[in-house]
Amino acid sequence: MNKKLSRNRTFLIIAIPVLALFFSFNTLPLIKGLMYSFTNFRGFGSYDWVGFRNYIDLFTDARVGKSYLFTFKFAILATIVTNVISLILALGLNSKIRAKSALRGIYFIPRILGGLVVGYIFGYIFTYILPAITGHGSMLSNTKTAWIAIVIVAAWQSIAQTTLIYISGLQTVPEDVYEAGAIDGATGWQSFKSLTFPLIIPFFSINMVLSMKDFLMVFDQIMALTKGGPAQSTESISYLIYNNGMGGGQFGFQSANAVIFFIVIVIISVVQLTITGKKEEQL
Amino acid sequence: MKKKNKVAANTNWPVTILLFAGCLTVIFPLYMAFVIAFKKPSEMTNDIAGALSLPKSWSLENFAEAMRVTDFWHSFGYSLMITLITVVLAILIHSLAGYAIGRSMAKSKFFNISYLYIVSGMFVPFAILMMPLVKQTAQIGIDNWFGVIVCYLVFYMPMNVMLYTGYLKNIPIALEEAAFVDGASTWSTYWRVIFPIMKPMHATVAVLTALGTWNDVMTPLVIMSGTGANTLPLAQLTFQTQFGTNYNLAFASYLLALLPILIFYLICQKQIINGVVNGAVK
Amino acid sequence: MKKKLIATFLVAVLMVTTVFSASGCSSKKADGKTHITMLQYKPEAVKAFEKMEKEFNASHDDIVLEIESPNDAMTVLKTRFIKEDPPDIIGIGGDVNFSNFVDAEMLMDISDFEGLSLIKDAYKEIDKNLEFVPTDGVYAVPYVANAAGVLYNREMFEKNNWEIPTTWNELMDLCKTIQKSGTLPFYFGFKDTWTCLAPWNALACGLAPADVCRQVNKGETKFADEYDDVAEKMLELLPYGPSDPFAYNYNDACTAFANGESAMYPIGSYAVPQIQSVNPDMDIDSFVMPACDNADDNILNSGVDFQFSVTKDCENKEAAYEVLSFLLEDSTIQTYLDDQNAVPCKDKEFQLSPALDGMLSYINEGKMTDYQDHYYPSEMAVDAQIQTFLLDGNVDKFLKKFDTDWLRYNRDIIRKVQEYEEKGGK
Repeated sequence: MNKKLSRNRTFLIIAIPVLALFFSFNTLPLIKGLMYSFTNFRGFGSYDWVGFRNYIDLFTDARVGKSYLFTFKFAILATIVTNVISLILALGLNSKIRAKSALRGIYFIPRILGGLVVGYIFGYIFTYILPAITGHGSMLSNTKTAWIAIVIVAAWQSIAQTTLIYISGLQTVPEDVYEAGAIDGATGWQSFKSLTFPLIIPFFSINMVLSMKDFLMVFDQIMALTKGGPAQSTESISYLIYNNGMGGGQFGFQSANAVIFFIVIVIISVVQLTITGKKEEQL
Repeated sequence: MKKKNKVAANTNWPVTILLFAGCLTVIFPLYMAFVIAFKKPSEMTNDIAGALSLPKSWSLENFAEAMRVTDFWHSFGYSLMITLITVVLAILIHSLAGYAIGRSMAKSKFFNISYLYIVSGMFVPFAILMMPLVKQTAQIGIDNWFGVIVCYLVFYMPMNVMLYTGYLKNIPIALEEAAFVDGASTWSTYWRVIFPIMKPMHATVAVLTALGTWNDVMTPLVIMSGTGANTLPLAQLTFQTQFGTNYNLAFASYLLALLPILIFYLICQKQIINGVVNGAVK
Repeated sequence: MKKKLIATFLVAVLMVTTVFSASGCSSKKADGKTHITMLQYKPEAVKAFEKMEKEFNASHDDIVLEIESPNDAMTVLKTRFIKEDPPDIIGIGGDVNFSNFVDAEMLMDISDFEGLSLIKDAYKEIDKNLEFVPTDGVYAVPYVANAAGVLYNREMFEKNNWEIPTTWNELMDLCKTIQKSGTLPFYFGFKDTWTCLAPWNALACGLAPADVCRQVNKGETKFADEYDDVAEKMLELLPYGPSDPFAYNYNDACTAFANGESAMYPIGSYAVPQIQSVNPDMDIDSFVMPACDNADDNILNSGVDFQFSVTKDCENKEAAYEVLSFLLEDSTIQTYLDDQNAVPCKDKEFQLSPALDGMLSYINEGKMTDYQDHYYPSEMAVDAQIQTFLLDGNVDKFLKKFDTDWLRYNRDIIRKVQEYEEKGGK
């Protein structure tokens, strides 16, 4: 009994300073940001309280609505593409292959290239190389295909991180699980479906949440490739918040946008976590 | 390690070949970046053959100039210091927090809510925190590299805690109970038993956190730009002016910045390969 | 046990560093001198400003000048305002940011600064017009301006005996002639939406009243009535450019023009350095956009590219004025001009870049109007709206949205303007 009490006490002693730090540098600024969302603050100088005007504007602003639609469409496709490819890649990089380190290193490089480099190179590929090969126009100047181009580049960069997490996850599957399965005659897809996958579900759910969140917050690739174009068809929520809130004078309004955005992402992620959380098993 | 002998015999060739083929999607853009980094602006063209061609001369001039413009060694030093300190503190603090929360959240409502509270912090867009944080760090007097580290520790806490608690689910409680029976306290059990086992996750967290902090430009820009010190990404903004970008210098600089983090990743991922869990269960 | 020691050690280091940093690194040295800090927004001019800083500090014993040229200066400036640690002098552009600063009462009235009499009136007028609501006092010293019309490849023109157009019809005829010879008349970089503003601004100079935005704020007119000509002429330019102008960005267009793929490029003189980096020997000149049917009605598009303001809370007004006077000296201005291709606002003859030859007469006569986009709030994304308009070609839809959006994005300003008007302009 004493052991249990002291164990709990130790955990509390650890948790409380950590929570305090988190509160001061995450929640407190969030509350201040929330306060700004009820004003017409420009980011500097004097401002007035405008009550819920910003929020009403948000719900009646077609541009904001379009950005939510685009961002969701983009995030869903990008999450699926990234996770499918990453899982396959992780299985491949985890299996018995040659030049493991070199290959893992190479596949990691997309993640560490800066936005300027990625924007220029992929901009060039989409503007000049692909049209030369396929004879069609540039994907980035067509409102119907520009978003797919961004999915490709965003996935290209995110696959590295997602794969890394899957690889770590695959490490936690003990060898004897495979051996036991092999004895019972399970191989390949069977082995993956019934043995591997259930044991890496915690990592699957982490990756789904992280991917979804990262793609919902997409900003770097938009800045690098389209700057919200063509014809404002690829303006993501983050892009509007940063561009108009920080760059422009709409700080108060975009703070309200950020608050709504935050609530939306939290809801989505909680739903995700609840669904997959039920399936996780503790060894 | 009987594994090593098996590798040569059991190499999965189809997969290996497929993976090498897939490398093209990375090598091709990298080749372009490389070639541009060595070219002069006067060699730049929109014509495909010209863009993909090798530079006329392989001088390191762009790299030297880029290093001069970004005050490379100073900026590199700051980037290195900030990233290293953040990673070390993240591994220590976040894993501890993950352990405390992970082991208690199933039974205790307080810890369950703490978990959700911290993880939900991940979804707060930085844009909304930015200005209030600027004011806050200035008021406390940490609007410098130290404040940047504190901010990073708080930003990466949700993801890292999530990763550690996830990893913990696959570490049997039996291991700790064994230590308890031997009379160890929770604190020492953690450091002697659990912490070493989580090495692959430490490496993962190290890589992800290092990556985020190494390439990040926004946080240093708003928090420490008045101090006269620069991080590498901050210094690299110099190449992009309102009406012109010197892509050749910029690419040279970006390639230089890429090397350290790539090396760090290669070191860390060796740790991820050699998972310790397999042995521990026995 | 070892791990615990390491952990404790690190925590201790943390505490010690906190104590040191918390004591604040920004304390000024007590050397008895007045410190003036300046933040300017052109990182590409950093070398020129380093030189100026050195010269000033060498010649002034009692004042120490510190110039910062950060990247992304507007964001940095805003963080300085939020931290309540503003610089004494700011060097920014004459654009909507300036208008916002004046409106938010962040700048000091410097009408008693003697150096103001040295500045050409046309530029002081431009600054006055940037204020949302006419405010008493002078809030900036215009320093340099830029000029925007149409850049052209002088060598190509001379070889083909093409003449500089002075009316819209002449321009259209010239384009047809160039097309027949097998070259593209124009190159456009419309993937970067801001480049859409370059021809727009140039056309608007001749076709729309200079204070149209203030007129709309007062409720006297609508954009649908004032900008229709501008919009239609924008569409007329499109067929003379590349087949998909929205695929190419600013850099692609600069590179293409530099490599001789087009004869002209409707963008400002600020693009010349980028173009010449690709083709260092290129002979570039420019002419004023001939938007009108009558050559005499054309006006040069020129605005204040760089100006100095003093922040309201500056405690050392005298010292700040010393700095400003130094900056206005001929040699200092020449330092800046040599580094950046610009047009000085000081009323004196200076050596200008050859790329401005075609516009010299307009510059010397002061026949110029500011960029319309200096009045547009950046969040309205007029540049993106123009791009959308060029993509679908519907003038009415575009102008109607312009009017509706303007009312929404400028709500607070319109209210202030109308209150001002009601009080009889006081």
